[in-house]
Amino acid sequence: MSYEIREESGYAVVELLGEIDLSCSPRARETILGCLEKGSNVLVDLSGVTYIDSSGVASLVEAYQNAKKSQQRFGLVGVSDAAMSVLQLARLDKVFPIHLTVQDRKLQDESNPAI
Amino acid sequence: MEKNYLYCLLRPESDHSLDQQLALLAEITQSFASSLHIEDTLQIAMERFMDYLDAEAVSIFLLENSNRELVCHACAGPVDVSGLRLDSSQGIAGHCVATMQSEIVRDVLKDPHFASSVDAGTGFETRSILCAPLIVNDVCIGVLELLNKKGGDGLFDDRDKHLLTALASSAALSINNARMATALVEQERVQKELELAREIQERLLPSNQEDGFPVSGMNVPAREVSGDFFDFFALDDGRIYFNLADVSGKGINAALLMAKTSSLLRCLAKTHPDPGELLNLVNNEVCETASHGMFVTIVSGFIEPQAGVIRLSNAGHQPPLYHHPDGEFEEIPAEMPPLGILADLEYPVVTLKLDGGRLYLFTDGVTESLIDEQQMLDVSGLIGLIQDMSALTSRQCLENIIAEIRRPGLRQLDDITLVVIECNNDQTEASAEPRQLLELHFEADPDYLCEVRTQVRQAITQLGCPETVIAELILAVNEACMNIMQHAYEGDCSGKIVLEINGSAQDVEFVLTDNACPTDTDCIKPRDLDDIRPGGLGTHFIQSIMDSCDYGHLENGRGNYVRMKRKIGGV
Repeated sequence: MSYEIREESGYAVVELLGEIDLSCSPRARETILGCLEKGSNVLVDLSGVTYIDSSGVASLVEAYQNAKKSQQRFGLVGVSDAAMSVLQLARLDKVFPIHLTVQDRKLQDESNPAI
Repeated sequence: MEKNYLYCLLRPESDHSLDQQLALLAEITQSFASSLHIEDTLQIAMERFMDYLDAEAVSIFLLENSNRELVCHACAGPVDVSGLRLDSSQGIAGHCVATMQSEIVRDVLKDPHFASSVDAGTGFETRSILCAPLIVNDVCIGVLELLNKKGGDGLFDDRDKHLLTALASSAALSINNARMATALVEQERVQKELELAREIQERLLPSNQEDGFPVSGMNVPAREVSGDFFDFFALDDGRIYFNLADVSGKGINAALLMAKTSSLLRCLAKTHPDPGELLNLVNNEVCETASHGMFVTIVSGFIEPQAGVIRLSNAGHQPPLYHHPDGEFEEIPAEMPPLGILADLEYPVVTLKLDGGRLYLFTDGVTESLIDEQQMLDVSGLIGLIQDMSALTSRQCLENIIAEIRRPGLRQLDDITLVVIECNNDQTEASAEPRQLLELHFEADPDYLCEVRTQVRQAITQLGCPETVIAELILAVNEACMNIMQHAYEGDCSGKIVLEINGSAQDVEFVLTDNACPTDTDCIKPRDLDDIRPGGLGTHFIQSIMDSCDYGHLENGRGNYVRMKRKIGGV
């Protein structure tokens, strides 16, 4: 797995790339939680994720819960088919805020300013 | 000079005003463009040309019969010459076709090209002629001819010539359009007939029987109709007749010979138990009537299902492949020419005992199918595919091979036909027995997970299940490995894990064992998904994906196992 962080539309966008399993999910977790701790609103871009297991999904759940607690915005964008089928299996596809692109998320934020 | 006709048309001293000339051109062009009945429109146009250019008669001739004849399609004047045929190399019209230039002949009697025979036949007296070629894409398709100017000095002039040239261009274009439209309608009609032929042809092929029937086959035509065929049916004495053949060429003529040959075989196989004699009879029949050097390559024979014995003859066809039960492949060669080449041949009979192996018959469409842009599958590639799928039933194997060589994006060049024969019922059941697909030893280090997933994918791909199922099974195995790493070994990366995968055509089983202290298996249960929290998802994944999953301790008391099963056959 590799990752990149970029600023876009008021979000720290964490783009995860490749396979996310137990060998690297702790790193993904630290990266995402680290962005939240700095006070950023965070979107995780899963478009380049070719595999994700329950440990990767668990990191996303933890980040989402932390964001809610501290009233930061959080969501997933560009979820790949491989990642989506795992989220569906965990029945989390309706739990996470999921958008096609960062721009889509931005538009929704504008129509719904509440976090 | 021809290029200047617009200039000439526009000259102010014209007999007709510029407006009138343009109006005529516009009207004629418009009526050609909007017409669906070209002959009617041409007829109306002839009358207008005759009036406007003040001629006694006008006619339009089109080249037909491989350009050997000029045939009158519309005319106006005192004599109806429509349908009149002229030799396209003769007369002033013929000269116009040859030169592709408009031409004025002021006195026909002085022109060496003039053919007086037409006048002799019709009684019309031709004095002068104005003739313009009909040209589309630099090809002459006919001529437009005006006869005898009525007014003035009785002679056509350059302005008449240029106007007729313009009108001829418009007419030529619309005639060409009409011809293309007719060709399109004809093409659609032929297409419909081909589809009908395909339906009929499909009905000539046998339907696959219930599982356990020794023969199954598939045919995928490259075009609407196929030159390949196969057949099989049970005879009253318990034997089964089978064949697979390839008719030379493709399309309708190949399909007709296919229909004839397969009908002959279906009929004669019931009364002629010797495969060599059967081919001899059919060969003589095909030789008598086949034309255009067409021929049929064929493997044809009889199966005794109880004994597992096949007796076959081969007329010039690709050698069938016998897959021995021990895994070896053997080609059953052919020495005789195809059917339809030489009459009165004796086709030798080969006897083969299947002994639990399988016999594959195929046309060159299979071995010559493209596996990438340039490379063909070849017999070696087919052998590879058969080996990959040997755990499957013969029907599944057949379907998977066809699916493999017809992957989207690959062009199908030829008809594809494949038949598999398998007799031994014990063997069918044997393929349902699980066999080991993988045994993998690794340490409880998350860094090995990626390699484990790769190995699992390789092992289960040969079971032929869809990608979605493969992805789920990989996820479940990954989760089970993680459970062992995190819970049984509690993060000790040096612990040992063994993964075994056993597969059959019906199901696949994954067994993971570890050497960790016995775990409390009752604690392993999926969590409530409505309770959204990190962790605990792995067991839920496993239970959602697998049909069964049980945990236990190894007998020696040093370690645990998890056994997961999933049905795949008939999914």
